[in-house]
Amino acid sequence: MVKKGVPDWLNSSLWSSPQPPSSNDVVESHEPPASADVKSAVVESIVEPPVPLPPPSVTRPVEPPSSSVHSSTATSVKGEIRDPLSSHNGNNYGNTNFNNYNSEEENGISNNSSTTSIPSVGANTGAVVAPAASSLAEDISSQAQLLQELSRKIINMGELRRIASQGIPDGAGIRSTVWKLLLGYLPPDRALWPSELAKKRSQYMHFKEELLMNPSDITRKLENLSLENSEPDGESKGFLSRSEIIHGEHPLSLGKSSVWNQFFQDTEIIEQIDRDVKRTHPDMHFFSGDSTVAKSNQEALKNILIVFAKLNPGIRYVQGMNEILAPLFYVFKNDPSEENAVSAEADTFFCFVELLSGFRDNFVQQLDNSVVGIRATITRLSQLLKEHDEELWRHLEITTKVNPQFYAFRWITLLLTQEFNFADSLHIWDTLLSDPDGPQDTLLRVCCAMLVIVRRRLLAGDFTSNLKLLQHYPSTNISHLLYVASKM
Amino acid sequence: MVLVLALGDLHIPHRASDLPPKFKSMLVPGKIQHIICTGNLSIKEVHDYLKTVCPDLHIARGEYDEEIRYPETKTLTIGQFKLGVCHGHQVIPWGDLDSLAMLQRQLDVDILVTGHTHQFTAYKHEAGVVINPGSATGSYSSITYDVNPSFVLMDIDGLRVVVYVYELIDGEVKVDKIDFKKTTGSNT
Repeated sequence: MVKKGVPDWLNSSLWSSPQPPSSNDVVESHEPPASADVKSAVVESIVEPPVPLPPPSVTRPVEPPSSSVHSSTATSVKGEIRDPLSSHNGNNYGNTNFNNYNSEEENGISNNSSTTSIPSVGANTGAVVAPAASSLAEDISSQAQLLQELSRKIINMGELRRIASQGIPDGAGIRSTVWKLLLGYLPPDRALWPSELAKKRSQYMHFKEELLMNPSDITRKLENLSLENSEPDGESKGFLSRSEIIHGEHPLSLGKSSVWNQFFQDTEIIEQIDRDVKRTHPDMHFFSGDSTVAKSNQEALKNILIVFAKLNPGIRYVQGMNEILAPLFYVFKNDPSEENAVSAEADTFFCFVELLSGFRDNFVQQLDNSVVGIRATITRLSQLLKEHDEELWRHLEITTKVNPQFYAFRWITLLLTQEFNFADSLHIWDTLLSDPDGPQDTLLRVCCAMLVIVRRRLLAGDFTSNLKLLQHYPSTNISHLLYVASKM
Repeated sequence: MVLVLALGDLHIPHRASDLPPKFKSMLVPGKIQHIICTGNLSIKEVHDYLKTVCPDLHIARGEYDEEIRYPETKTLTIGQFKLGVCHGHQVIPWGDLDSLAMLQRQLDVDILVTGHTHQFTAYKHEAGVVINPGSATGSYSSITYDVNPSFVLMDIDGLRVVVYVYELIDGEVKVDKIDFKKTTGSNT
């Protein structure tokens, strides 16, 4: 599916300026949550941005685009989740069959850019978005769906990924559990959860104890092992006895293996981590400010990053890791289950490791120029853009000479946490994490979609304005963005 | 875990030209939080050098110091401990432990750091502990020529202090340590 020119549907006015949905149009008949196979036709209205799609890589149907009715898979009905933090309510849509979209790719959704023609239940028509009217009911139904999926004894990961890609509701700690499943922290078999959790949490405690001990305590421990109890006690007067030091360990030691020396070397990293943690999300009370909550959260973030840096001497700490860590910790800490919230730090650590494992190469400077490094990834993004929108690509890279490194670097290494507000980035992460092949591909598609969405402004701009636009990406409708991304 | 360096009696430039290189290589900035100096540096350049090792510097005046504005005695609190500094030439007989104990009671400190004798001592009595870091350059004293360069690093951790004694003996740095705990409750 290589597109040479800009497809018609992209050129529709829909994409360039997504508007918040005002009036609600046709309420599409929506399927009851647990139903399976009815494919509901959906028509897109001009005012409402379309419903988000299933993750591109997962459930794209095998049939060719021009196929007509195809049955939905089970339980694909879900409304867009209303994000309470989001400013616009446009994210509530009816229960629609998302697989529908895949069949409509090339076929003029723009044809339906005028409102409310009720399409036949066929492929080549547009999609309807059931408007926000019954949104609350839909929310609850989508929540119920997820809960149902989660409550099974053995969770079907493919199914979960598909549901998750459409967005996860914010309440009832669902996101926390789903993310843990998606990142492989919790096994699909529910029965194993308690033991797994206990094991991992105690492992983290162990790491912390070992690695966060300061050298005084370490030397004291060593002493207690070797000497029994030769403490000079209670003499009231007299010269203090000098004793030997163990292994040449003293604070000014310059030896490589000296505990003290390592401690001082780590101090630099610890300072950097501290600085970055203090600067994380300064606008959020959760992370920043003088409250004890914020302080303890910062402390937790610091500990996680320090333990990670010590366990991974090859990569240590790189600025930006705190940004990737923050959403994870936020979601896990706000889990309504008391037990989970208390162990949020341990859970976040392992999920962070898992998440970062796919992206490690972005943070290693030596790999910058290699095939797996960040430059190669940016080149792939560039290629993707070229495939989908050659005109824009040409304009950006050749005419205005906006090197993708200027903007895409931050997009990619920080997984888009810096480009959107916090709530939106959680939503994007739902989609990113639900990709079974790892978030990398989806990420590139989302980035490409971001470029395509503002193409009008980019095409009209020169180097300075384009760069400014891309480095301060305008806030946009997230579901819209994800929809565009999934079509690539 | 606070690291406090105690040293003094360098007598630079009159009796010694510089710290022994092995000591200098160990005194790297960034590791030490406080420096307590018993005096007799004697010139400003040494003061500046010590400032680069650690900005928090406390000095008591020795009789050969060219800077006349250092105080005779100084007290400070680090963690749970009160420390006092005095050069020691004021306490007569020089180096007499009972007289130093008197000074300690006057200053009301847990650890008194004095110098002047250029010999390392660490002595405990009811009122607390007296530490003499010796001479960091090994310069001769008013009493003797036979002086090994030495200084002291204290690791204050709660109620416990580990005193690391660094001595240069026959060209090699030897490190020993001394442990002591403060009994809870203030010394009166």
